Amino acid sequence: MLFNSLEYLLFLPIVFIIYWLLKNSYKKQNILLLISSYVFYGWWDYRFLSLIIFSSFLDYFVGQKIEEAIGKKNKKRWLLVSLFSNLGLLGVFKYYNFFADSFASTMSAIGWEVNDLTLNIILPVGISFYTFQTLSYSIDIYRNQIKASRDIVGFFTFVSLFPQLVAGPIERASNLIPQIEKKRNLNITLIKTGLFQIFIGLFRKVAIADNLGIYVDSVYGNYEIHNSSTLLVATVFYAFQIYFDFSGYSDIAIGSAKLFGFNFNRNFNFPYFSRTLTEFWRRWHMSLSFWLRDYLYISLGGNRKGIIITYRNLLLTMLIGGLWHGSSWNFVIWGGIHGLFLSLEKYTFSAFKIKTFNAFGYIYTFIVVLIAWIFFRAPDFHSASTIITEIFSFNYGTLFIGNVNAFVNALLLLSLGILIDLKIFRSGTSLEDYGVRYSAIKLSMIMAVIILMLCLFYSTAENFIYFQF
Amino acid sequence: MNSEITKKLIKIIILTLLISYGLDKLVFFGLNKISDNVKTGQAIGKLNHFLELKDNTDFLVFGNSRANRHINVDLFSDNSYNMGIDGVGIAYNSTLINTLQENKEQFILVHIDTKNFFDTTYDGSDIRGLKTKYKRNPIITSALDESGQLSKLQQIYYSMNYNGSAIGIIKNYFKPSYNYKAYNGYDPILVSEDQEDMRDIVLSNFSTDNECTDSHDVNSIALNYLKAIKSFTEKSPNKTFLFVTSPMYNDTCSTDNTKLAKIMLDLGLNYMDFTNLYKDKKDNSLWKDATHMSQKGSEAFSKLLINNIKTSKF
Repeated sequence: MLFNSLEYLLFLPIVFIIYWLLKNSYKKQNILLLISSYVFYGWWDYRFLSLIIFSSFLDYFVGQKIEEAIGKKNKKRWLLVSLFSNLGLLGVFKYYNFFADSFASTMSAIGWEVNDLTLNIILPVGISFYTFQTLSYSIDIYRNQIKASRDIVGFFTFVSLFPQLVAGPIERASNLIPQIEKKRNLNITLIKTGLFQIFIGLFRKVAIADNLGIYVDSVYGNYEIHNSSTLLVATVFYAFQIYFDFSGYSDIAIGSAKLFGFNFNRNFNFPYFSRTLTEFWRRWHMSLSFWLRDYLYISLGGNRKGIIITYRNLLLTMLIGGLWHGSSWNFVIWGGIHGLFLSLEKYTFSAFKIKTFNAFGYIYTFIVVLIAWIFFRAPDFHSASTIITEIFSFNYGTLFIGNVNAFVNALLLLSLGILIDLKIFRSGTSLEDYGVRYSAIKLSMIMAVIILMLCLFYSTAENFIYFQF
Repeated sequence: MNSEITKKLIKIIILTLLISYGLDKLVFFGLNKISDNVKTGQAIGKLNHFLELKDNTDFLVFGNSRANRHINVDLFSDNSYNMGIDGVGIAYNSTLINTLQENKEQFILVHIDTKNFFDTTYDGSDIRGLKTKYKRNPIITSALDESGQLSKLQQIYYSMNYNGSAIGIIKNYFKPSYNYKAYNGYDPILVSEDQEDMRDIVLSNFSTDNECTDSHDVNSIALNYLKAIKSFTEKSPNKTFLFVTSPMYNDTCSTDNTKLAKIMLDLGLNYMDFTNLYKDKKDNSLWKDATHMSQKGSEAFSKLLINNIKTSKF
């Protein structure tokens, strides 16, 4: 079920009403949330519910075993069961074809022809997100940071809670399980901030991102016939499309969760207002970047083992982070570019004894991010390199506009989106808390205006970009 | 959730619905006022212009961008109009044809594309292009209702009728794109020298993806709209109808063309298929891309078409 669908428009209030009718028993509420979450997921493809249920069973059981095991060695053994099982599932469903194809290509390059090893595998929606969520649970127990859950319904709800099930934010057990295993309350602050964030999220996704996507798709679909200016504008549009698409999704997820009394972690914090790439990664897809930092970068040794190892760890973390997004070398390169520049920044900061860049840092960061996005958006390495070559050939001829209406709408909505971001950013308040400042009437007026904007500018994109990951 | 919170929540929701409903009507009626005076632009101007002159012309062309770009109506009559619109299909055109006055003597040329009749994904959603006239023109309203292509929310929020077109309408209201009184709806494509290289690349890379088989299943939605035109022709004895498919750069499959010709014959509709007219010429100057001719190609095709019409007995 998509957040921007009529089904969700009915689903959310129905679950909300029943949920709060059950307010005297949080356990009954959890049962309702679990069933609702499975309905939400099953709406897409019920067959893959078995994977979520398997993953939930596995980590529920393994979590207790890790806790009960005596001695580090035994604990590690159980942790490895969780790691291999979860990553094994991810490997089969997400990466098997990629590695099989890469293997065949490598063999072919050295003169060995191998039969087609790829399989017809459907990528289950959200598998990367809930796998990371369950993995962090087991690792946290192993690290003695949390206790294993003994409430099976609560734990299953933690894994599958519908607002964050298919595209995050990747919630930590330390944040979410304690909220699931106790009574929730709804107050006016949660209602105001939740509704405000849901509506802003819808506007970001349905109005801004989807309209930008029309132009991006038309240019990237025929990249070989466009000049530098067109490719550059399409790439800038894509940078904002993916931001508004994904942050919009996160806003609806976080806002929806608030209506059920849950506080999710923030996932975006105005990432394009960053002066360094390091800062960018503290603001972009925060639940993933902090996950990678805590469970990968630090596990590899972080910055505790000397400068060379630190750079290696950074690069490796970003390469794996890239691969997490999808089974394509383009994502690996995307991660590699980020890893390389993060390492260069680290070196520059230590060599010149500075903590950040001046105002030019905003431009530098945006340019690096922009170049990396080309690999993220282009269908393959060849097209990405062609686009980069064309952009840097400075063949800045007439800009391709395509559908004038669609282009003007996209520009107008983008400007509006940036202005809204600027206003919230300069207020010093996060979007998550912004709605509380409005009275009921003001909030209603804002939401009414957003409804009107959606009526006038909605565009029908098939999906959220991050669903594919 | 205590009763105080419930009250506040209900208040916010009711206020939001009421304000949005009021705002929606305000914007809808405001845009109606503006759009009625807009006669330029593809968003609504061309449709308004057509609805204004449709029953006072001798020669009308319906179809998609290929109709719009390929048929110079001035060669047929001084009192003519090309109602070709980008991205529309048989649903849009069938609905517009049904708005014509039945008794008026007119020559109606309907441009159709073979592929669209055998496209299993075609759902008639191009009729949504007429949504700005929903609840404003009875024939269009009825066709939109029957199509089921409008969102149920559209019954509540009327401004959805202007989805995607509001800015264009306002722009054309204050600054019309052209002098509509001198406009006949035909928009030939001029290929500049800069674009020639790009055009040559596109044409050299062109290949048809569609699988060519002997058995093509006709799309039932497209066929029903075609039958709706057929019904209209029977009610309009003073009108002459001709269906035309204009040239393609390199159509590698002819079995679907044969099947469409048979369908037209069975329905008793006049049909001329020019798909392969320039196939063996290999003259890129006739083309903008694989489906659209350049002005040079369009002018040559229009002349040939008029000669064919003159020599044919309908």
